[in-house]
Amino acid sequence: MRLDISYRTKFVFDSPVRESQNELRACPASDGRQRLLGYRVSVEPSARMLSFTDYWGTRVDQFGITDAHVALEVTAEASVETQDPPTFSRQVPKGSLADPGFLDRHEEYLKPTRHTRWDEAIAKQARSLTEADADDVVGAAAHIGDHAAERLSYQPGTTDIGQPITEILANGTGVCQDYAHLAVAMCRSVGIPARYVSGYLFSSSDRTGSIEGDIVRVQTHAWVEAAIPGQGWLALDPTNRLAVGRQHVKIGHGRDYGDVPPLRGVYSGPGTPKLEAAVEIRRMDPARQPPTPMRPSLLAAVRAPRTRDQQQQQQQ
Amino acid sequence: MPIPGFFDEAVDERGRTREHYRPVQEWFDRLTPAQVSALEEQRNESFRRQGITFTVYGSEEGTERTWPLDLFPRIIDAGEWAMLERGLTQRITALNRFLDDIYTGEQAAVADGIVPRRLVTSSSGFEREAVNVSVPLGARCLVAGIDLVRDSDGAYRVLEDNLRNPSGISYVIENRAAMTKLLPAAFADLAVRSVDHYGRSLLRALRAVAPPACGDDPTVVVLTPGIFNSAYFEHAFLARSMGVELVEGRDLVVDDHVVAMRTTKGLERVDVIYRRIDDHFLDPVVFNPHSTLGVPGLMAATRAGTVTIANSVGNGVGDDKAVYAYVPELIRFYLGEAPIIPNADTYLLWEPDQRAEVLERLDELVVKPVAESGGYGIVIGPKATDAELAEVRNKIEADPRNWIAQEVVGLSTLPAWTGDCFSPRHIDLRPFVLCGEQVEVIPGGLTRVALREGSLIVNSSQGGGSKDTWVLGHPDPAAAS
Repeated sequence: MRLDISYRTKFVFDSPVRESQNELRACPASDGRQRLLGYRVSVEPSARMLSFTDYWGTRVDQFGITDAHVALEVTAEASVETQDPPTFSRQVPKGSLADPGFLDRHEEYLKPTRHTRWDEAIAKQARSLTEADADDVVGAAAHIGDHAAERLSYQPGTTDIGQPITEILANGTGVCQDYAHLAVAMCRSVGIPARYVSGYLFSSSDRTGSIEGDIVRVQTHAWVEAAIPGQGWLALDPTNRLAVGRQHVKIGHGRDYGDVPPLRGVYSGPGTPKLEAAVEIRRMDPARQPPTPMRPSLLAAVRAPRTRDQQQQQQQ
Repeated sequence: MPIPGFFDEAVDERGRTREHYRPVQEWFDRLTPAQVSALEEQRNESFRRQGITFTVYGSEEGTERTWPLDLFPRIIDAGEWAMLERGLTQRITALNRFLDDIYTGEQAAVADGIVPRRLVTSSSGFEREAVNVSVPLGARCLVAGIDLVRDSDGAYRVLEDNLRNPSGISYVIENRAAMTKLLPAAFADLAVRSVDHYGRSLLRALRAVAPPACGDDPTVVVLTPGIFNSAYFEHAFLARSMGVELVEGRDLVVDDHVVAMRTTKGLERVDVIYRRIDDHFLDPVVFNPHSTLGVPGLMAATRAGTVTIANSVGNGVGDDKAVYAYVPELIRFYLGEAPIIPNADTYLLWEPDQRAEVLERLDELVVKPVAESGGYGIVIGPKATDAELAEVRNKIEADPRNWIAQEVVGLSTLPAWTGDCFSPRHIDLRPFVLCGEQVEVIPGGLTRVALREGSLIVNSSQGGGSKDTWVLGHPDPAAAS
């Protein structure tokens, strides 16, 4: 799917501010599933950009505005070509999660972080969801995604970034970051390495935005990737109870939101900001492909268990 | 007389004064207790007048104390020092290579299995914001303080590396200045190597790591958290001895990825920042957003290569005490050499077998948290109460990556004045190593002494004192450089 994305954030301050320093993480990643065709960032008032790739592989655009200003507008425009991800085999024994090499590579995705700190109740819930089948890490991750989807109801403005997931669970409402943090924490609590993904979603039935023909107006989105031994990262979108597909455009990943915030920065001065943020996604190849149908469960995204013969053939 | 079971620096096992201590020993032997007390009073008065103090955090009495300098110097002869200089140069060279490999290299030490990847990713000192930020000359440990001890056989061992913001060099220089004034006669006939060129050497190293584009007269500043920091005295001392500005975060501003300092004449570009602020307070954009000690945009400027921060951000992964255990292997890996100064025998508590052994012998070992410095959090098994041992056992079991254990090293002894006579007290040594264009080891370093009888804790924050450290010039002046 060919998508053009326009990310725009505008701060309007009630009194002038100075010495603002900011980092933007809005550029779609290039990986096996998606290809970045073009990317452009502009800032008003104008500023020199420093662009680099961070530890997690995400492109960062850094800029500062020294002089006094009452508004700051950041626009990023991207063109990207996406595909559906490869399907995953369901037959992955949980014992393979304990492989020393696997643990060594995923150490940082197994620990609690500021936004993913779980308590015993969360861990217990995760265990009960995943203990049924010892040979199905993929199913375990999908069950956790489904559970996060069921536990929270989508309600913007009810949570703040940085609120502990235990509190969010108690309230039962949240936005995509909260769904993602909950699913990440539950995966980690049962030993499945998981990471937080920041991105965009082009979707006609997405709960975060509206659609007019081939244009959707949304916010940035967040979902989850779980590491499946021998197969790679399985992406799940618990907010929409949706398998991640060609309508998902990934920006980057990290241990939690703190590693991939779309925009972070500081400024100096007493002004308080009013924020307008919008993402507009336009589909550029509507004629050739029908929209990807939504799937009722995250599990439907993964293929039925393969037989041993098939697996062996796969390995040859 | 030496204490049985410990190596005494000044006296051999048969009670004879060692050759290189003889002139000093004879000089002290002629002093009466009253004369020693008078010298001590003179020393205290001088330190008080100059404001040479240190701060103890968490102490209930006044937090400022006069610097405790014991009058009996530590002496290292030329041959021994040459070995230490080689060993320290080797160690710092390997640690710089390791840090550069981790942050801007191929992570070869990980790829080749010298250190496990998770050792790096689980280190609280591994700073992801510093990945792909290159450092001129790869001089990431521009100033390092390596803590050495001598075991009961007299062999030097590295106890820990301090690669972030090692402090103490100002005391080395002030100790020497005080000793020269108090005991000029004791220096007679001994070619004691100077330490007062430190400011010039530090400035030379800092200028060597300036961004190549900034020309041949880079502007260097010292960045301090401010007067409430325990080492503020040293920050001011270093700025003064280099003849550069001492600034706080609010004195600096970043504009278009260039750092400038606010001066009475307007903004002046800054090329090298010798910072004495911890990583997490350096830049609120990428680290602690509530920190007002740092400079917003500083990391981006560093990444852009318009300014160099020394020591480099993220050095904490290099002095993580679990990484320390691998340093001998890193020396072999990067340099293809055998380590000249060995480590103390160390156990990694995240290794189940080693943990099990350590938990059996907790009362015989020293247990340390991996990321602390200054002696904080250390539990010395033979001296700990049952309750303390139980507490540290729980902590180890809850987070084994956060702890190491070491065999107790029987620190060497040296006479120290104990009020009415000189008695043996345990000492260690923190030499300072500078890395700019090349590695330079400052002769001697800070000798710390545990002033309480039988104590092995030398940290000034824990009731330790210090000694002037004399490195003797080469016996053949023609061979000395």
